[in-house]
Amino acid sequence: MTTQVVLPKLGNSVESSIIVAWLKQPGDRVEAGEPICTVETDKSTLDVPSTASGVLLQHLVNVGDDVPVQTPIALIGEAATPTPEARADAPPATPAISPRALKLAQEHNIDPSQIVGSGPGGRIIERDVRAQLEGQREARRMTPVARAMVARGGYVAPEQGSGPGGRITKHDLIPIGDPAPSREPDASSSDYEVIPLSGIRRAIAERMRASLQSTAQLTLHTSADARALLAYRQKLKASDESLGLRNVTINDLVMFAVARTLRRFPALNATFEGSELRQHARVHLGFAVDTPRGLLAPVIRDAHALSLRQLAEAAKALVADAAAGKLSPDVLAGGTFTVTNLGSLGVESFTPILNPPQVAILGVGSVNLKPILPEGARDVVFAPHLGLSLTVDHQFVDGAPAARFLQALAHNIEHFELLLAT
Amino acid sequence: MPKSILIDPAEARASGVLTAPPIPLNAYVADPAAEAAQYGSANLVRIYRDMVIIREFETMLDKIKKEGNYAGIRYDHRGPAHLSIGQEAAAVGQCYHLTADDFIFGSHRSHGEIIAKCLSAIAKMSQADVQRVMEGYLDGAPLRIAERIAGADFAELAITYVLYGTLAEIFGRATGFNRGMGGSMHAFFPPFGVMPNNAIVGGSADIALGAALYKRVNRKPGIVIANIGDASIGCGPVWEAMNFAAMDQFHTLWDKAIGGHPPILFSFINNFYGMGGQPKGETMGFDVLARVGLGVNPQAMHAERVDGYNPLAVADAIARKRSVLEAGQGPVLLDVVTYRYSGHSPSDASSYRDAEEVKRWQQHDALLGFRRYLLTNGHADESALDALVEAAQQRTRRVLEAAISLDLSPRLTVRGDEIGALMFSNAPRTARNAAGRPEVLLPREQSRLKQLAEKHRFAFDPDGKPYPKLKTLTYAEALTEAMLHHFYEDPTLIAFGEENRDWGGAFGVYRGLTEALPYHRLFNTPISEAAIVGAGVGYALCGGRAVVELMYADFMGRAGDEIFNQMAKWQAMSGGVLQMPLVLRVSVGNKYGAQHSQDWSALVAHIPGLQVFFPATPYDAKGMLNLALHGSNPVVFFESQRLYPEPEKLTPGGVPVEYYEVPLGQPAVRRAGNDVTIITIGATLYVALEAARELERYGISAEVIDLRFLNPLDYTPLVVSVRKTGRAIVASDACERGSFAHTVASNLSQLAFDALDGPIAVLGARNWIVPPAEMEDIFFPQPAWIVDVLHERILPIPGYTPRTVQSSDEIIRRNRLGV
Ligand SMILES: Cc1ncc(C[n+]2csc(CCOP(=O)(O)OP(=O)(O)O)c2C)c(N)n1
Repeated sequence: MTTQVVLPKLGNSVESSIIVAWLKQPGDRVEAGEPICTVETDKSTLDVPSTASGVLLQHLVNVGDDVPVQTPIALIGEAATPTPEARADAPPATPAISPRALKLAQEHNIDPSQIVGSGPGGRIIERDVRAQLEGQREARRMTPVARAMVARGGYVAPEQGSGPGGRITKHDLIPIGDPAPSREPDASSSDYEVIPLSGIRRAIAERMRASLQSTAQLTLHTSADARALLAYRQKLKASDESLGLRNVTINDLVMFAVARTLRRFPALNATFEGSELRQHARVHLGFAVDTPRGLLAPVIRDAHALSLRQLAEAAKALVADAAAGKLSPDVLAGGTFTVTNLGSLGVESFTPILNPPQVAILGVGSVNLKPILPEGARDVVFAPHLGLSLTVDHQFVDGAPAARFLQALAHNIEHFELLLAT
Repeated sequence: MPKSILIDPAEARASGVLTAPPIPLNAYVADPAAEAAQYGSANLVRIYRDMVIIREFETMLDKIKKEGNYAGIRYDHRGPAHLSIGQEAAAVGQCYHLTADDFIFGSHRSHGEIIAKCLSAIAKMSQADVQRVMEGYLDGAPLRIAERIAGADFAELAITYVLYGTLAEIFGRATGFNRGMGGSMHAFFPPFGVMPNNAIVGGSADIALGAALYKRVNRKPGIVIANIGDASIGCGPVWEAMNFAAMDQFHTLWDKAIGGHPPILFSFINNFYGMGGQPKGETMGFDVLARVGLGVNPQAMHAERVDGYNPLAVADAIARKRSVLEAGQGPVLLDVVTYRYSGHSPSDASSYRDAEEVKRWQQHDALLGFRRYLLTNGHADESALDALVEAAQQRTRRVLEAAISLDLSPRLTVRGDEIGALMFSNAPRTARNAAGRPEVLLPREQSRLKQLAEKHRFAFDPDGKPYPKLKTLTYAEALTEAMLHHFYEDPTLIAFGEENRDWGGAFGVYRGLTEALPYHRLFNTPISEAAIVGAGVGYALCGGRAVVELMYADFMGRAGDEIFNQMAKWQAMSGGVLQMPLVLRVSVGNKYGAQHSQDWSALVAHIPGLQVFFPATPYDAKGMLNLALHGSNPVVFFESQRLYPEPEKLTPGGVPVEYYEVPLGQPAVRRAGNDVTIITIGATLYVALEAARELERYGISAEVIDLRFLNPLDYTPLVVSVRKTGRAIVASDACERGSFAHTVASNLSQLAFDALDGPIAVLGARNWIVPPAEMEDIFFPQPAWIVDVLHERILPIPGYTPRTVQSSDEIIRRNRLGV
């Protein structure tokens, strides 16, 4: 029996992937679950496991192909099983090919029967394989959307894209007729510098504008007494190294508090998708990471169920992956709430912009001293306070529930040890 | 041509009658008393002994060939055996007076001469000298076997040695005199003056002439005899050799101190038959062979007919002719009358002759007659002579047993490519074996070298502007420099050919040499291409170095045998005993039509044993000729008439004034590129460079490699290039079919197959006669052809329209028509 291996959907938002390399060649024995090829999506590079055990009979797609998900990519069967092609009535025509071209094609896993030869008598020669390779490289260099836009006309692709590995996205395309972006300021005619927009910049721009255009954003500010939180952090810093808690950040503590608090406020742990509002039982907590390539928001799954240490470790790993550009698309998708932090940069409070389809986002500000009057005391004392700014989509969340959530969160921060016990 | 010889019309037009000297026929008069006094009984008996030894040796071979059995010893000999039963007296008589310093060259039928000459030399040498020769020859290999079978007596050992070395050679054994590589028709033994025997009828005539030239020029003692058959008088090269030896210049123009004509004796062993054809009465018109001398010079070559059935008549003739030769008054022709009882070869049914004729000659048999003579005149008794016969039989049996034993007498093997190792001697020599300083007429500093050194050595000045041609060293002059250098270094070096002196070679390569060199180092020859090359072969295999010239490659046909069979093969056929430092300069012409414009390099590259060079730049012309003149191998050195007037345009720095050599077998990359390799032979290089410039305009970068050497050839740089580019065109001015470009292409397609992006294309001249000069651009490869071949067969160039028909279909069409 011959089994087809199909390209799995490697993330909710992934429509297609590019075959980067075949890890198994025709004739190789493979076990179910063993990777057979490497593919690249918009955001990262992943291995595709075989869904069957047997002998890899045939590659159905080539290195460099941009393959829609759910497309068969390989046949697995027993060695003697005839491939569907072998059973076909007309044997595939074998075009004449030079030894050099054949070798090159084999090195790059290119099926020569897909190539039109330009040599004498239609012989496939080296340049034909190179052209094919070049085409694939072009394909690999450009997202399907970008490619379609270029093909339709009106845009040209720059040399280098802003996507992963320099991939050209639609944001990188230069409309034909636009003056070529000049790198050098033109001192004679102006005193400003033109900054060409990177793809990620364009993507962020679009996402932010879309966020503001499609939601009704309302931001509430408050602050939480941070004495307990800071004292606890001091303890963590002084803790035995073997516990692995020394590097827990304020942001980790806040996220821990958010995850625990949110469970009681499902209205804020919600997403609006299509036409339905989904309130989530589980908290998948997104958090903004500033990377060299731009702003990313990886998601910590089931953050409400993690211990502080687990959560801190998960966050740390995601930050590292984000910095290295290795985040899988799924890690970037599926969040139910997001935390963003500008406090370390001294910002007291700000108005975070929603990350649709989520309906709420918490901004964490800096720690500032605030006068308080302790119960029964006559004089005010100054206590450190952490700024908190909550933006909600007023379409789905009203001001009061939002304020109640903020209040609860502040309370939990103020009584952090109690929270730990929950 | 020399101005010193005036051609006076009065003399040329005067009437009169040409008289010629009479030709003596069998003039020897036997005088037993005088002979007894002259020779003594012992020597006369030795003459009989030697004839008996030869008779027994040949009889043994006759039985082995015909019956596979001699005296109960069985053996199957597959190779040839042309026997001389009946001719023994001619051989022994001839050799009686000869010493090891005298050389004999022979034919396919020379076993008897080998034995006679060796035994005669041994008789005249001290035991120690003979021992030294036997020990030294092939590291004593044949001697070791002779010692096992000969017993204690030294004389017996020496005879056994000669017979064993000869028979082992006939049977193709590594212990034979030529390691088994010569065989029956080529066996020889230089230490005793037995020089190469030749399976080409008459082949020894011009080679022997070269040997005689060697003796004269280098003041070596001894005379040289060419033993050739009566039927060889029909061979052009034999006539060429006789004429060459008789050239007036030897006594009119050469320095008297040289000694006159080369000491050569053309000894026609006249057994009245070729194979079956009869020169006298059927295939020739001379009636008496000796008459031929009349056609050669006023002395009629001192020709005589000699009775070859009386050894003393032959010995007497040789003694008299030796004085003529030593006085520089040769050449000499002897018509030595004899007869063979055995067939031409074992397959000969003697259908062409009457049994009665054989019987009559047997009644005259020299062994019977001379035996009677010895008995009658009291030189020996029956029992003593019987003992000689008995000893000969026993010795022959022992020698045969040893020679057929594969243990004692193994063959060469393919282990270590033993035969391959004999093809080239690869023994570069700076100091030649001739004593003394090179003889010249001008000190080196006053020679043309000085004038040439002052010329510009590169075509362009530092700004890239061309220097005036007259003030810039040319390809022809670069060759001159190499020649002059070696003339001043190597005392044995001589050069000859047509129009070499005064004219300076037909294309001026030797301009300035006439002034620098005496006649005997640079001279004009008759229009005798065969003898020019053949004499070069003889000169070189004796130990000298010769440069001979054929004006046009097209004339190689006239010297075909000498190039293909003699020059090429003697190093290996001698089993490595001989070296062949002979350079044959051949110029490739153009503009002169069908018989003067062909590149025949493929012909010689095909022949095993030749090295083939073809420089395309002045730098290489000098460096490669230097290399050839330093080596010990035969080199066919092609030159391009198109390039003679050209300066060095490619090698940065130009042609060094100093001495240098180009590394053997290394092609030169003339232009680096990535997309296609164009390999050229000879002047086609410049066509390829132009094509490369054109290809550049299409964005195709061509690598151009100048082959320089056809053999030996290091394919590595070619393979490296083709692996890089994946495409190759091999181009040459030789006609395409069978050209060396095909050899290169075929080898490369095997060596670089996996890297090829298309077939390796071959581009040659059309397979036509060369048309008139004005039409050569439709005959010889042009730059456009190269571009077209690339476009049509390998790499179509977008937007390009070919200008000539170079498609694959055209290959089929042309070949179908044979054009
Ligand atoms: C150039 C050449 N042509 C033909 C032959 C074939 N062949 C071998 S021996 C021979 C006859 C030679 O006769 P001759 O020269 O009188 O010598 P003989 O055999 O009588 O000793 C011929 C024709 C040859 N070996 N070489």
